[in-house]
Amino acid sequence: MDTEIFTPLRLDEIDSALQLELKEKLDIDIEACLECGKCSGGCSNGHIFDYTPRKIVQLVKIGDEETLAGMDALWICLSCQLCLDRCPSGIDIPRILDYLREKAVTQGVRASRPDVHLFMELMLEEVRDKGRVSEVPLMIRFKKKTGQYLKDAGLGFRMFLKGKLGFIPSRMQKPEDLKTILSERKSENKG
Amino acid sequence: MDIAYFPGCSLHAMAHEYDRSARLVCERLGINLVEVEDWNCCGATAGHSLDHELALGLSARNLSIVNRMDRGEVTTPCPGCFSRLKTAVHALVNSESMTRRMEKRLDATLSRLPGVTHLLQLLMEARGLRGLAQPVVKPLTGLRLAVYYGCLLTRPHRIVQFDDPEQPSSMDGLLQALGAETVKWSHKTECCGGSFAASEPGIVIDLGGQVLEAACRAGAEAVVVACPMCQVNLDSRQDEIKKERGRVHNLPVLYFTQLMGLAYGYSPRELGLRRLLVSPISLLEEKGFF
Repeated sequence: MDTEIFTPLRLDEIDSALQLELKEKLDIDIEACLECGKCSGGCSNGHIFDYTPRKIVQLVKIGDEETLAGMDALWICLSCQLCLDRCPSGIDIPRILDYLREKAVTQGVRASRPDVHLFMELMLEEVRDKGRVSEVPLMIRFKKKTGQYLKDAGLGFRMFLKGKLGFIPSRMQKPEDLKTILSERKSENKG
Repeated sequence: MDIAYFPGCSLHAMAHEYDRSARLVCERLGINLVEVEDWNCCGATAGHSLDHELALGLSARNLSIVNRMDRGEVTTPCPGCFSRLKTAVHALVNSESMTRRMEKRLDATLSRLPGVTHLLQLLMEARGLRGLAQPVVKPLTGLRLAVYYGCLLTRPHRIVQFDDPEQPSSMDGLLQALGAETVKWSHKTECCGGSFAASEPGIVIDLGGQVLEAACRAGAEAVVVACPMCQVNLDSRQDEIKKERGRVHNLPVLYFTQLMGLAYGYSPRELGLRRLLVSPISLLEEKGFF
């Protein structure tokens, strides 16, 4: 990746296809970016991102969809909303990341953090089955898929002793009521 | 005063003590929490991370049930749920086409939407500091607390419209009104590691570790939270933080409702204080609470 793009861009360097897409679909105007970097200064996970929020905005401007779809930041963004709150132009970067993640998954791009993606998919399975998410069944699903039975076993035992894990999982009386909301899920990619 | 109550998934599972203490203090304050009928997941994390419309649909259904119950307002103790419900209201109010689409899917009207508050906000607005201090029988005198707001209780400000996103003070005011001392510190609104507890625990150990360290440096004896995710992230990883960073914190992490309950005279058992992994019992004994 050419690091030059992370300096302020000239107009002729900008390929606006993705920028227009975000404007049309999300009503987010990347043009309003002041290139001040406050988003990256505040970013909770900026110290481990491969591309910080300001760089992500630059990548959107030049339309580098391949880098955006495969970047690690897509899967370790905490959705903490700090970048959005600090942006003088109010650019909703967490929403852009959600959009790019959804698009990458729909296109079948493999997540840089398969466990993070898997965990999210299993959480949605919980919602589909019960209408709600309970930690214990979710953890069992996750451990079955990853084979990481021993990871956090000690913590699990301590929680059990505290009575934190002993509950019958909460569920809706009629989870089928969610059918009309869940049926249109575009991708069933399981990480 | 009756109000629709959205507990959210965590409060029906690991954060049971938050639900229990919230119900107790509301009862004491004459606020009757009426649980939203057959509510569903708010669409947090996995929902909005993978499927925007699904997340919106899940929250829209909950809002439509509040409407059906003929309640003008719904309150939730979970900032994750608070954020999703507020975001859905914002999205629906600003898009007629989305509203129509959701109405069709849910077979409900969404032209009118309920107000959404976090429980802390509801208590502050409904009773005020004076009203919240009124039932105090055991002031929290001598307790030095780091009040931790986390991310979603105050952010993004244009959506949640509660307190100050950088320097919030509502919960500090409440704890002070109950008699406690609150420390000035740097990490009030930093992130605890959010939903990565199981899938990327290293992130929680890193970010949660920073929050705990900042609280210790400021001289706090315990951390107060208003979020089930913050509680579990800060409470459950202190052993690993010790192992990986060599820092011993041993800081109890309590829900603000548990401390209110304590000041109102409820017992540790009623408030589920023994369910916390880092026990607050010896600290509270040392301060003469029981």
